[in-house]
Amino acid sequence: MRVLLEVKDLVKTFHLSKKQQKIEKTNIKKKIAVNGLSFVANEGEIYGLLGPNGAGKTTTLRMLAGLIKPDQGDAIIDSVSVIKDPDLVHSKIGFLTSELKLEDYFTPNYLYDYFSELHHIDKATALSRKEEMFKKFGIDEFREVKVAELSTGMKQKVSLVISIVHNPNIIIFDEPTNGLDIITAKTVTDFLMDLKQAGKTIILSTHIFSLVEKLCDRVGIIINGKMVYEGDVKENPSESLEQLFFRLYESEASHE
Amino acid sequence: MSKNVITIIKKELRRFFTDRRMLVSLLLPGIIIFVLYSFMGNMTERMIGVEDDYIYQVVVINEPTELASFHQTAAFDIEVRYEASITDADLLLLEEKDIDLIIFYETDFYQKVLNYDINDGLAPKVELYYNSTKNESSNIYGFYNMAINNFEMTLANRLDINRDANIEYDLATEDDTSIQFITSLLPFLLLTFLFSGAMSVAAESIAGEKERGTFATLLITPTKKSEIALGKIIALSIITLVSAASSFTGLMLSLPKLMGGNVSMAMYGFGTYALLFIVIISTVLIYVVILSIISAYAKSIKEASSLAVPLMLVNMLVGISSMLGMANESLYMYFIPIYNSVQSITGILSLEIDMINLTITILINLLVVGLGVLGLTKMFNSEKIMFNK
Repeated sequence: MRVLLEVKDLVKTFHLSKKQQKIEKTNIKKKIAVNGLSFVANEGEIYGLLGPNGAGKTTTLRMLAGLIKPDQGDAIIDSVSVIKDPDLVHSKIGFLTSELKLEDYFTPNYLYDYFSELHHIDKATALSRKEEMFKKFGIDEFREVKVAELSTGMKQKVSLVISIVHNPNIIIFDEPTNGLDIITAKTVTDFLMDLKQAGKTIILSTHIFSLVEKLCDRVGIIINGKMVYEGDVKENPSESLEQLFFRLYESEASHE
Repeated sequence: MSKNVITIIKKELRRFFTDRRMLVSLLLPGIIIFVLYSFMGNMTERMIGVEDDYIYQVVVINEPTELASFHQTAAFDIEVRYEASITDADLLLLEEKDIDLIIFYETDFYQKVLNYDINDGLAPKVELYYNSTKNESSNIYGFYNMAINNFEMTLANRLDINRDANIEYDLATEDDTSIQFITSLLPFLLLTFLFSGAMSVAAESIAGEKERGTFATLLITPTKKSEIALGKIIALSIITLVSAASSFTGLMLSLPKLMGGNVSMAMYGFGTYALLFIVIISTVLIYVVILSIISAYAKSIKEASSLAVPLMLVNMLVGISSMLGMANESLYMYFIPIYNSVQSITGILSLEIDMINLTITILINLLVVGLGVLGLTKMFNSEKIMFNK
């Protein structure tokens, strides 16, 4: 199996402002969000990053997407270094996170075309893909409705579709079902399975055990910015993922 | 220009020009300026103006026949009523603005004036009753006051200044008067229009997108940060120019009203406008670049706007330097961005164009813009700036 994504020893430190120090009740000026994280994802698999809030999942994904730069380490995505050529990486990945918003004023139809153009997709391909995606996600009848007037679920679907206008081979999803109703959430998880069927590699972060068990081939458990476990999801039939997680979490807490 | 830059420009223009609310906020200043200035012009006209066909009502008492010619020298119609004495009824009429003037000469006024010697004590008297709250009354008071004073001066005539009524002693041409007026006013207003236009669009497009999280969506496309910076700056400059053009049109349309129709633009040819346009573009680019940098630094539209206020004041101060109506001639001064624009605009409008100064101005301005684009690109690349929450 080909390694499509290789994360090597990523480190990311944030400086805490006075206000943040107060909130976290600490005098420490620096916070290590990601501490020497490494993992690989193979072509065609869904890799889950599991961890509690604040464990460093989102920070890791943002570094993979080239939005922020690691202090140390690198990520090689489809043989391109995120540090050396982030713009090229952007053409190879699709990145979906709640931080990335679509402009309220425009319609899904316009935004799809706009991002297709920025990705240099030729018009015919963009058009046929747009029709297919809009139909699949039920965006069709809302295609000329301004984003501002769409429901949360519909917005999320449009964001999802637009994050993959360029049909990337690697798709990074940060908490893809967060804040969605059960029906929209199912549409999204079904779509992730479709993408896997189509041979795409998917990295997703979540704190929902069932989502990992249902979707992921392999899982990495992150606690306090460190990878404490990596393995196949169905490796150990005697212990559930939840039991495994809490065992690791408690042993990590006792180390501190 | 790369395809991405054009894609971004198109999107920005669409954002500002297809949104009715944005359009209104871009074009409204021009309309407000037109309405406000026209209104001000109308008001001043009404305050000092008198209808052309107005007939002045004057009551005269004891008029010497030698002075009757006063009524004929006026360029307007005067209806004279002769009375034997001042009556309370006439004074009341004047108070109530029904008549405009009462002239009272003491008896045998003309003879007494001719025979008067400074050692005789008080000079013969003439009284002019008027009502200063009525324009017509003030006008006619001024007219007779001057006529009688002139009569007094002719009695002891030793010399004449500017005697010939047919000679135009003030050699300023109408163009010169217009130029003086325009150069003292336009550069300042132009600068203010351009700056305030750039301020709102840059804050909306950069700080606004950052605040709403839509900028990040752009940052994960393969588009280079330099392309984003360039696309934004070009688009925002176009939008600023449109907004400034609206304000400018409003101003120009209301100028004749404001100045009572004494301003002519006939002395400016195509060349003047072309040079003016080039300087304006280089200035707009600077404004947009500076305000974009501020907007990229700010966390929200609100913060961007308040950070821009001190700059706005500095800009107005620089603009005021044009009120002298003369361009600075020192070469070094043209190395100061914005100030050089004001001076160049003043120079162009005075029709005293110094090509070296103008070239320096444009080169310096473009250099600043170039550096600004580099700076903005760096900022777009910096996670500390783009994701400072």
